[in-house]
Amino acid sequence: MSALAFFFIVISLVSFVVAQLILKRAMQFSMANGLRNSRFVSLATIGIALMTLSFFLTLGLLQRFDLSYLYPFQGLSVIFITLLAAVALKENLSARLTLGTLLITAGIVLVSIS
Amino acid sequence: MQNRPTGFGNPWLQLGLSVACVFVSELLLKRGATDVAEPDSAFSWTGINGLESPLVWWAILLIIASFISWLYVLRYVPLTVAYPLSRVVDILVPLGCWIFLGELISTTRWCGIALVVIGLALVAKPVAQMEERL
Repeated sequence: MSALAFFFIVISLVSFVVAQLILKRAMQFSMANGLRNSRFVSLATIGIALMTLSFFLTLGLLQRFDLSYLYPFQGLSVIFITLLAAVALKENLSARLTLGTLLITAGIVLVSIS
Repeated sequence: MQNRPTGFGNPWLQLGLSVACVFVSELLLKRGATDVAEPDSAFSWTGINGLESPLVWWAILLIIASFISWLYVLRYVPLTVAYPLSRVVDILVPLGCWIFLGELISTTRWCGIALVVIGLALVAKPVAQMEERL
C-alpha cells in the first residue's frame, strides 16, 4: 500500500467518524427542538458533507484495492466512534460494551491484514 | 429509549434495514468501481469517475435509504450501542465478496470474522436484556 493510498484511507476514516458524531448530535438536538431550526440544519449539513467526502474517497480507493481488504479499515471507526461518543456525547460505556467493541475492532483488523 | 415506536418504526428493525442496504450497496460499489476503474489516472483518486457506472448510482440510492434509517435509529439508540451493532456489515461484506464477487477468504480472515461475531454478541446481549425490561 502506497503512502498516498494510506493518506486517502485516513482522510476517509476521519471524515466518517466526525460525521457520525455530528449527526448523532444533530438527531439528539432534533428530539428536543424539532427539525426546523438553524442549529439542526447546519449540523446535519456538515455531517452529510463529511459523509459525501468519505464516500467519494472510498470510491477512488475501490478502483485500486479488493473490497474485502479495503472495507475493514472503515471498521476501525468502531473503536473511535464508541470512545468519542462516550467522551464527547457523554454516553454510558460499560465494561461489556468496551470489551465487545475491542473484539469487533480486533476482528476487523485481523480481516484487513490477512 | 422511552416512547419507542413499534412496527415499522421500531429502531431495531430500522437498524437492520440500514445494515442490509449498506451491505448490498458495498457490493454494487465494488462491482461498479471495478467496471470503470482507471488506476493510472490521478483524477480517479477522487472517485468521481465512478459515477460513470450505473451500479454506482444504484448503490448511492441504497446508501441514501440506509442513511435515512440510520438517522432515525440515532434518535432512539445511543451511538455506543448502535454503531458497534451496525458493524455486522463487516462480516456480511467479506462473506458477500466471497459468495458473489469470487474474492478469497483466508484462515486468518475467517478468525477475524469470528472475533467480530463474538464482539457483536457482547454488545448485543445488554440490548436484549434492556428490551425484556421494557
